[in-house]
Amino acid sequence: MEDELLSLKGQALACLGNAQDNDSLEACRVQYLGRKGLFSTVMRNLGKTSEEDRPRLGKLANEIKLALEQAFADKQNGFTASNNASKNKASQDLTLPGRAIPFGKHHPVSQVMTEICSVFERLGFTVAEGPDIELDFYNFEGLNIPAHHPARDMHDTFYISSNILLRTHTSPMQVRTMEKQPPPLRMIVPGKVYRCDSDITHTPMFHQVEGFLVDDNVSFADLKGVLSIFIAQIFSAKTAIRFRPSFFPFTEPSAEVDIACVICNGKGCRVCKQTGWLEILGAGLIDPEVFKKVGYDPEQYSGFAFGLGVERIAMLKYGITDIRLFYENDIRFLRQF
Amino acid sequence: MKFTVNWLKKYVDFDLSAGALADRLTMLGLEVDAVQSLYPGLEHIKVARIVSVEKHPNADKLSLCDVMVGEEQKRIVCGAPNVRAGMLAPIALPGCQMPSGLLIKKSKIRGETSEGMLCSGAELGIVSDSAGLMDLPESCHCGASLTAALDLADTMIEVDITPNRADCTSLLGIAREVGGVTGNPIKPPVETPPILPATSSNFSVEILAPDACPRYAARLLKNVKIGPSPWWLKRLLLAVGLRPINNVVDITNFVMLEYGQPLHAFDFAKIGEGRIVVRKAQPAETISTLDGTERTLTDEMLLICDAKKAIAIAGVMGGENSEVTAQTTEVLLESAYFAPTSIRRTSRALKLSTDASYRFERGIDPQGTLLALERAAKLIVECCGAEFVDDGVDCNHGIAEPALIHLRASQTCKRLGTSLTIEEIASLLARIGITAARLDADTLQVTVPSFRIDLEREIDLIEEVARLKGYNEIHPTLPAVPMSLSCQEPSFILRRKVANIMVALGVFEAINYSFNAARYSSMLGLAADDPLREQITIVNPLADDQGVMRTMLLPGLLENIRHNLNRQTNDISLFEIGKVFWPHTGHELPREAIRLGAVFSGRPGIGSPMLHYGDRAFDIYDLKGVAEVLLSQLGIKGAQFCKADSAPSYADQDEWLTVTLPTGQLGSFGKLAQSTLKEFGIKQAVYSMDFDLDLLTTLAIDKPLFTPLSKFPSVSWDLAVLVPEETGAGTILQAIMAKNFPLVDHVEIFDVYRGQNISAGMKSVALSITYHSDEKTLDDKVVGHVHEQVVELICTLFKGQLREV
Repeated sequence: MEDELLSLKGQALACLGNAQDNDSLEACRVQYLGRKGLFSTVMRNLGKTSEEDRPRLGKLANEIKLALEQAFADKQNGFTASNNASKNKASQDLTLPGRAIPFGKHHPVSQVMTEICSVFERLGFTVAEGPDIELDFYNFEGLNIPAHHPARDMHDTFYISSNILLRTHTSPMQVRTMEKQPPPLRMIVPGKVYRCDSDITHTPMFHQVEGFLVDDNVSFADLKGVLSIFIAQIFSAKTAIRFRPSFFPFTEPSAEVDIACVICNGKGCRVCKQTGWLEILGAGLIDPEVFKKVGYDPEQYSGFAFGLGVERIAMLKYGITDIRLFYENDIRFLRQF
Repeated sequence: MKFTVNWLKKYVDFDLSAGALADRLTMLGLEVDAVQSLYPGLEHIKVARIVSVEKHPNADKLSLCDVMVGEEQKRIVCGAPNVRAGMLAPIALPGCQMPSGLLIKKSKIRGETSEGMLCSGAELGIVSDSAGLMDLPESCHCGASLTAALDLADTMIEVDITPNRADCTSLLGIAREVGGVTGNPIKPPVETPPILPATSSNFSVEILAPDACPRYAARLLKNVKIGPSPWWLKRLLLAVGLRPINNVVDITNFVMLEYGQPLHAFDFAKIGEGRIVVRKAQPAETISTLDGTERTLTDEMLLICDAKKAIAIAGVMGGENSEVTAQTTEVLLESAYFAPTSIRRTSRALKLSTDASYRFERGIDPQGTLLALERAAKLIVECCGAEFVDDGVDCNHGIAEPALIHLRASQTCKRLGTSLTIEEIASLLARIGITAARLDADTLQVTVPSFRIDLEREIDLIEEVARLKGYNEIHPTLPAVPMSLSCQEPSFILRRKVANIMVALGVFEAINYSFNAARYSSMLGLAADDPLREQITIVNPLADDQGVMRTMLLPGLLENIRHNLNRQTNDISLFEIGKVFWPHTGHELPREAIRLGAVFSGRPGIGSPMLHYGDRAFDIYDLKGVAEVLLSQLGIKGAQFCKADSAPSYADQDEWLTVTLPTGQLGSFGKLAQSTLKEFGIKQAVYSMDFDLDLLTTLAIDKPLFTPLSKFPSVSWDLAVLVPEETGAGTILQAIMAKNFPLVDHVEIFDVYRGQNISAGMKSVALSITYHSDEKTLDDKVVGHVHEQVVELICTLFKGQLREV
């Protein structure tokens, strides 16, 4: 039995040595080490040996089997390695560019608008939208901008008829919402707005996000707090902010909010007209006249509103210099964001 | 509103640099648009005295001049027509750089040496017209620097005045704001208004429209010598961009800038019967205004008339027929209060906006009428050698008394979210001339000055307090509002989802204008009665191609394709989610619907290397794939893709599919017609897609139901059948799936073959059918049984014939 095992080992190693490729190696492995192979056949006789020889023979058989398995594995690894080496040289040029897997992009305006909305959604604001074609009442009268008021000059309006127009801001939803619902209100209104103006910083259509919050005891300090959070999220927590007095007929007090110029970090450059500051949004406490028009008691309720131009923020974030690029839909432009 | 720093210093003391002043004004709500050093680079220009002038020997239009610059004599060749011995003029000596960048050198002009250049006002950037040498006043020192001689060193500041701050359209108004910062009082040239009678023996004033003109004051001056203004006055007007005209007109402009009260000077000799009548125009009455335009009026417009004719459009522009000219000797000076709305309507209707109308329509100080009149009259006496004829007339039909407003300290603190004492509040207001008397521990009674017409309510005063305190002094807090769940509109969620799917499919999002060109309807070949032609028209579009609200997204996307092709981007896939608009009969507002549009052209995969993908272009199966993924991701099942019986006019009639559910049509897609592409100047095939997102919103399912994963393997059996050419291979799939055979999991077409060994009029469709059971591993017998039924179905239904494989 012992001789048989040793001779089998010799034969197996010889066979292995002769194997030239994976297939002949595998055939050789099956012949000797397979389930029905020669080694198994010899091992079946182990039971017939004497009790005193059996442990020694068993140990020997096991050693031989392990040694052979190792030898087969080594030989096989050798084949695989040399195989790969030769194949690489022949056909796989890893310097070739990758396959361009098709990818699309959200429009930069959509991206920034989503980002803006998500900050306010996290603060519990509800997203609402209104009609693009709006009644004069909601766009102007209800927001304390009567006919023949000089404030209408701030809105170069497209008209459909004498009392129907393309909304010049998304603020009409303030009035529409308050007409239907009592406070508390927290709302954000993204959408397209229209003004007759076209140059490097104006397009006749652009996007605005209007937000407002109304409750019993809302203050100007609260407005500052919410907008500071917003700016820290959209730009950076280090971005300096300033609030300065301004005028909107539907807010009192009114403010323009500036951030330190993102191009020159406040040192003064062409973009910020050497002031170091960039106007980013308009805001204020909702004017009591607006509350009166929707039947809210201005003594009881107060609230704030703000509006910002999405393109302007996108331009500042990405360093885009001409607003008209947003509406050419040039793929070379769209794929950058 | 423009002014200069030195000019402002006449009315209020301050010790701030121009930059610091600009910053303070901006933070007070007077946003500074520009800060500009005036006349930079003129320090080296000198004042020269021309001693003698002789003709240039070799040139007709040139002169040879001997000039003195201080003690130095220079010889200059000069081409100005107005050069004369004895005059003072600016000179640029060699080495001096002109504002245009020109470097002055000693040179020879037609053989004569010129040691510098005598300059015109235009060459120096001081005035815009270039009639000849700048004729300097005798007060200038020969040899002095021009900057010093003309007091040119100054800084111009331009502020953007918000519509509420009518009071700041004047130097005094801005000075008052500066006083709000520094605490220094303002110094008006005339502090107390004179008291004028209501009538005069020399002229009369009659107001027939007291609503539009509650107050009209005038003074008559005689022996007026019309001529150029003194340099100090010209300088200030030039610095703010006004063209000096003559001393009287310049004074009215100057006082308007000083007080914010527009004034008008009439040639009294041209006022019939010495009568001023303020009345509304007759319908279609005409007047020729100072700008030489004949204007047709409506009965809404207010006129200043004499006994017979209109002599000015009130508050907007004077008439040519009463203009002050060089011959004028008697001037009637008008200072009036016109109602803002009346002036605004007139100015809008005539499309004529002037410095006067700008101020009247915002609302001037109703108590400022006589102050400005007095100031201007005194200046005319001073500068034009005039004398008063009488005291003048103040025809006053009632000007509103200053308002009294109660301001609560508690309310101020509550609205601002800050703490201020009642004393602090009163002292802040006092800085800008607002007096407040204490009524009780919490309340101030505030007297609003007449020039602050914007202060009407408590909240307006609260804003003033915040402004003067400084917005940045208020510390941010967060609102304490009750917690609530924020809602999201289903349509909004769906649009985000659809956009995400399209982006994931490799399509770029486009955004186009909501308005486009009316002619697109014809370019797309829409029938005359096509509802898509019912476009809403914009009354005042910026351009013809933005004249109507869009009823389709396609034209905008086609313009985008052309734009990209023109810029050598040939592989294009774009989608847009946006509104389209239609008239809505019986409703106040038009109908707005949201659609998804997409276009595909060139090769799939933007910029794919040929190496990997070859040059395969988009085809209809790419679109079908997009549509299928879109619907499946939205959880919409059972949509039918059918070849349209009649495709839209802009579509290729053979390659257009509609996507329908029993409830209606969801959308359509396919290839665009050659003729359409030609209209849009596109030379390569384009496929387009359109879906009704409003309908998808109602159908989309946002929660997919889990299907358990099978534990048993599936088996695939292939077969090929010969079917008549006209049989749609896809219909074979549909028929098999519709039959709901047991074990049939899915079917795939892996080849459609025509040609060798296939008889004419037939094609071979190779199918791979996957069988599967949730209960057991399938054996050949079980599968074979079902497979036979499938084969039989195909053969009977499609007249097919099993092909030996």
